[in-house]
Amino acid sequence: MRTSSLPKITVFHCANCLDPVRVPMASSACDLKFVALACSSMVKDVFLLRAFEAGADAVVVLVCPEGACRYVEGNLRAKKRVQWVKDLLDEIGMDGRRLALHNLASAEAVPAIVDQTLAVLPQSEPVPA
Amino acid sequence: MIVAERKPVAEIKNSLAPYDKVLILGCGTCVKTCFAGGEDEVAVLASALRLALKQSGQQLRFEELTVERQCEDEFIQEAGPAVGRNAAVLSLACGAGVQALARRFAAVPVLPGVNTTFIGVLEKPGLFTEECAGCGDCQLATFGGICPFTRCAKKLLNGPCGGSRQGRCEVHPDTDCAWHLIIERLNALGQMDRLKTYVPPKSWNRSLAGGPRKLIRKDHVL
Repeated sequence: MRTSSLPKITVFHCANCLDPVRVPMASSACDLKFVALACSSMVKDVFLLRAFEAGADAVVVLVCPEGACRYVEGNLRAKKRVQWVKDLLDEIGMDGRRLALHNLASAEAVPAIVDQTLAVLPQSEPVPA
Repeated sequence: MIVAERKPVAEIKNSLAPYDKVLILGCGTCVKTCFAGGEDEVAVLASALRLALKQSGQQLRFEELTVERQCEDEFIQEAGPAVGRNAAVLSLACGAGVQALARRFAAVPVLPGVNTTFIGVLEKPGLFTEECAGCGDCQLATFGGICPFTRCAKKLLNGPCGGSRQGRCEVHPDTDCAWHLIIERLNALGQMDRLKTYVPPKSWNRSLAGGPRKLIRKDHVL
């Protein structure tokens, strides 16, 4: 159940590319929820969809830079899976732009990614609660 | 394996419109392997449908279950209690599974959630290719284990058409020429002499063209 009127963003991230404690500032313009994964390849399609079902207005997947995955190709697999789910969101009329994947070099880049995500949201209809 | 693909969500949504409680029933065999109807796909489809229905202000309750095989009554029985709790079943099995369910549960509508497409193999990750037409009269020994009935666009039985380019089919350039593969294979096996035998036009009366087929194993009949 949504506890605030701020846009809610669920961030799935590889534990090797981000420690949420190091994110410079928590944006006051949204409600961020971080979900750590041992590798971004563990982000299954159903996890992404259920995040939307749980009330997220947008879902972001943060993966290691290409070529830097500890498990060689986990970030590439995550990229393909995210694209698959974006297509599914488009198919059901939910706007695939609500879901995005970013290669993350450092925690300092997170606020910009959040801003970029929020910028897409006004163009999308709110997810029905 | 039998290869299938999920139907468009809009089509599924329309077929579910008359019902308020639906069991999404997966099959843990062929359709699981081709990522169309296993446990994961049941969960994804249920979630996608819930989101899609919310968009249009509709409400529908889903129950999710996957049985080992939907084409065998022994496994279908496990779904009995779940079927009884719902107004309809959305089956993610192949056409045989859907019909086996419908036969078992006469009072509950059974709807297909996938399109059954072909008998094929996993050629490489993410790519499934058709390898068998289920013609009922297998001639693979003659063709070195490569079926021209299924894999040649022209279904030629006595040699290549001559239109292939660099081992690729002239009709579908992204597909290997079946006859190129047959000749390479027979050459490697030292069995090129097999191609000297004339193969007469295929009789399709043992295939679906002769009507639905039956297989009776008398030693298993009770």
